[in-house]
Amino acid sequence: MALIVRADLNLSAGKTAVQCAHAAVQCALEARRKHARLMERWRRTGARKICLVAENLASLHRLASEAQNANLPYHLVQDAGHTEVAPGTITVLGIGPAPRRSLDLITEDLSTL
Amino acid sequence: MGFRSFIHHLTAPRSKAKPVRGNVKLVCIVNQSLKMGKGKVAAQVGHASVESFLRTGRTHPHFLEAWLSSGQKKICLKAKDDVAFEELIACAQEANIPFHMVRDAGHTQIPSGSKTVLALGPYLEDELDGITGELKLL
Repeated sequence: MALIVRADLNLSAGKTAVQCAHAAVQCALEARRKHARLMERWRRTGARKICLVAENLASLHRLASEAQNANLPYHLVQDAGHTEVAPGTITVLGIGPAPRRSLDLITEDLSTL
Repeated sequence: MGFRSFIHHLTAPRSKAKPVRGNVKLVCIVNQSLKMGKGKVAAQVGHASVESFLRTGRTHPHFLEAWLSSGQKKICLKAKDDVAFEELIACAQEANIPFHMVRDAGHTQIPSGSKTVLALGPYLEDELDGITGELKLL
């Protein structure tokens, strides 16, 4: 599972962590419904997660549409805006759990957080 | 309410689960002594949240329902070291609060088996605050 954070928002460490957790939970919920076997395999093998950075909102949307085209589970986290950012701001994109090769195709240009 | 759901409302068996009163949240507590990078912390908090909510779904399903339908409130706190985790886990067990302790596989940054993040809940906000009240926000 890849968790892709927007670099232009400059979120604090705690906020970043919580937003990534939102993405991870939503992706896991969706994967459990639609890709149950993949989900089980992912959890058994250590539930691998990686945090990456993308430049801005446009890059998140571009990555999300790539994930959609590849038929991978994904979720864009929209913050309620109680703290740090304005309500409705999209903060993190979660993709997966998905086979490593198909995820790497989409995320290979991104650097880790 | 549509006609069918109205009929369903009248005839469906009553759910055994007691409705949850009060706010429900998930708390993640990060071990500060490991000095993990920002991305590492985020991934570990992700591990903790996913495992803890799945467990809550098995043991306290009505709390999970309440949490999912109320915006999935999450909060991230910090603890000094893993000794603090022992106390928190003891409190959680006593109060029957679902929790998950993340032990890292140690592929990056830190040694294998390190206790990185403790997740408590989703559970009643007031009860969680009673346990984690002294901890600071991350």
